[in-house]
Amino acid sequence: MMTLSPVLLIAAPLLLAFLSILSKKVAPILLVVASLFNIAVLFFIPAGIVNIGGFDQPVGINLFVDNFSFYGLLAVNVLFAIVVILNLKNYPKYSTVLLVSLAALNGLLLTGDLFNLFVFLEIASISAYLITSSNKKPSSTFKYLVLGSLGSSLYLFGLIILYAMFGTLNLMDMIHQIDVANAPYTSLILPFFLMFAGIGVEAKLLPFNSWAKPIFEHSNTLSGPMIGSVYAATMSLVMARLITNLFAFEGTLLTVVTVLLVAGVVLGEVMAFSTKNIREILLYSSISQVSIAMLLFLNQIGWWGFFLVLVNAFSKLVLFFIINHAVKDSNDDSLHGLKGLFRKNIVVGVIFTIVSLSVAGLPLFVGFIIKLNYMTILAVQGQIWLVAIILLATVVEGIYFIRLLVKLWYKEEGEDLSVHFPLVYKLIFGAIALAILAFGLYSTPLTSVNTTLDSVGDQIEVIYNE
Amino acid sequence: MKNFLALVLVLLLSAGIIITLQNNDLFPVFGEAQVVNRVSDHYITKGSTQPIIWGETTDAEDGAANIVTSIVVNYRSFDTLGEVTVLFVSAMGVALLLSSGRTSKRLALNFKPNFMLRVGSRALFGIILMTGVYIILHGHLTPGGGFPGGVMIASSVLLLYLADDEFRSKIKGFKVLEGVAGSLYVIVVLLGLILATYFLQNFLPTGTVGDLFSAGILPIVYILIGLKVGSEISGLIDNFLTEEEAA
Amino acid sequence: MIQYAAIVLIVLGIYGLLTNRNVLKMIISINVMEVGLNLFIISVGYVTDGFAPILSSVHNSSALIYVDPLPQALVLTAIVIGVGTTALGLALAKNMYNKYHTLNLDEMRDE
Repeated sequence: MMTLSPVLLIAAPLLLAFLSILSKKVAPILLVVASLFNIAVLFFIPAGIVNIGGFDQPVGINLFVDNFSFYGLLAVNVLFAIVVILNLKNYPKYSTVLLVSLAALNGLLLTGDLFNLFVFLEIASISAYLITSSNKKPSSTFKYLVLGSLGSSLYLFGLIILYAMFGTLNLMDMIHQIDVANAPYTSLILPFFLMFAGIGVEAKLLPFNSWAKPIFEHSNTLSGPMIGSVYAATMSLVMARLITNLFAFEGTLLTVVTVLLVAGVVLGEVMAFSTKNIREILLYSSISQVSIAMLLFLNQIGWWGFFLVLVNAFSKLVLFFIINHAVKDSNDDSLHGLKGLFRKNIVVGVIFTIVSLSVAGLPLFVGFIIKLNYMTILAVQGQIWLVAIILLATVVEGIYFIRLLVKLWYKEEGEDLSVHFPLVYKLIFGAIALAILAFGLYSTPLTSVNTTLDSVGDQIEVIYNE
Repeated sequence: MKNFLALVLVLLLSAGIIITLQNNDLFPVFGEAQVVNRVSDHYITKGSTQPIIWGETTDAEDGAANIVTSIVVNYRSFDTLGEVTVLFVSAMGVALLLSSGRTSKRLALNFKPNFMLRVGSRALFGIILMTGVYIILHGHLTPGGGFPGGVMIASSVLLLYLADDEFRSKIKGFKVLEGVAGSLYVIVVLLGLILATYFLQNFLPTGTVGDLFSAGILPIVYILIGLKVGSEISGLIDNFLTEEEAA
Repeated sequence: MIQYAAIVLIVLGIYGLLTNRNVLKMIISINVMEVGLNLFIISVGYVTDGFAPILSSVHNSSALIYVDPLPQALVLTAIVIGVGTTALGLALAKNMYNKYHTLNLDEMRDE
């Protein structure tokens, strides 16, 4: 069985990106080739550490492949391929930028070095600004740019304070040095909070997400799913990796971060309940789901947080795509304007219903299984307040999603909307919806997983205690 | 009122940061950094137990006399690949955002340069270009390298733009140069994967520290980076200084 | 001393971001903050009486005391990234001016 190096996941799209500016016609083809190639290469990658340039870490940079990276990469690459293939005809000018963002997203999930993470974060952010510029609203892209630069600079500031204290930039080495030096946690509060804030801007956590509303208000079939699903999944997974291994919040910082995340959950649901714009509803629901996922990682409920992030990414892909396509075809984006959308598009309507009810966590769908499991574990851990807040949030979410669905299905007198969904949408989204239904009814594969997810801690033991 | 609140917030923030850093035992006082405890110790000694002597040591792990260059292009070259990509995607983005149609002309400005300026700048152009090329070629011996050298080359092009109303460079040529240089850079690093066992490994002999032809693939990589950066930023300048042809 | 100056520059940039609504001034504030950050990064590596980390005919052995070269390499990357985002910000500013005929974010309401 041939093994390939994981560097190919990053180097191949980059090479194709540099070549694609030589010819405008070939660029979209290269984009599709790169995304499919990445998915194929994933199956030939061995787990473990890969040193780049032959220099052992911490002198050199290393890539880290374990269950967490592998499944995360699989999900992100598949999502990216779906977004790209469905948008091929509409946005050919953005092929080079999309190739670079593919390389950056893969790099973010693979890297084991903190400064390398900063560089890939910047590449991914700049590609994101350019992807949102397809909305043709330069002022919202500018606000995103300003906040994104501020966030990355804060992350770098925190990282440099850590470097001055411990003398290394490698993730595993840093954790080992923190253990060895037995530093009091108060000295680590400032750098950890700065790094948390830096990635929090991109991951849309409160209170760093004021850029998100103008971007999604006017999104289209390329920027909406890409930023709302692919980027959201990657940034959440990066944040989860750091929370579980590096930050290890305790004491005051744990309280502060928990309060921020809980505020994110509550405010997200409240804002979603009170708005009439469909895309804002989806965005605020996303924000609260991400905050819940981060709370799970904070409490060491790794597998369920991981599932929540992935299922949410797939669901938001379907939802954003359907809504943005409908808005594009009918030129109207208020809740009022899209009334009765599904009367003529029954299949799409059924798909949308299944996916949105799964996001809300209603029974029969996989969202409910995930919610049930993590709430039981939280209750067993004794976090009654969290369970209560999440239950309340679920109720609110159920209400506004059902209200949304009612508006979209039923219509009083008036002319019907003429929105047409191409067959390929129905096929791909139908497959996703079917998977959501299937896992909701037969959930043993999810509940019986018992391999470890994130092996950074194990590798540190192996390397430093032999 | 908003300004006052912002001022208070900012003062609190700076006081907080300064006090936290001063109370932090592990954060070294300015000037007393213990380099031997840090990763940089390996970069300075190049991993060998004998001291590296300028002009005499051969076949060191990395033959560059400029230690910062050896970090940027050899030990942590993956970061440099990322940096090159950042510049690339920014230049692409500016071209995407500011792309005018088929017909484009120079942006009309208020000043009109005179004859002396136009002729004199062409003489100066050669000198600045040569300085940029010198800095790129000696990146492994003196401070500088591909990035500042490439920007100097682009600044010589900027001089021509500023001194002459009618000047427009050949954009197509720059794009081809940029694409080719970038692809060659990624191919060189991929070759490291195939010829040696690791990605980006230095696969040419490293020679004596201090010679012009030393340090393996470092000068080659820096030349490619310099060409790429120079053509990218020239293209960027051109995008800013053009506008639609008045219909 | 220099670390205080660097922190002052960083918070000055943040203050500029919070209070200005003119697009060009916001870009300049981000640049000021990044300059402060780069200064801080370099200052972390300073060793008193250390030499610049380049082997030459004057300092020809690696056994002498050098300043830390790693923060300098990090700053090289950070400067280039700052240039990239500034270029994008200015291109967006040009687009915004062409579309709304003003450079003040509060006055840009569309339709």
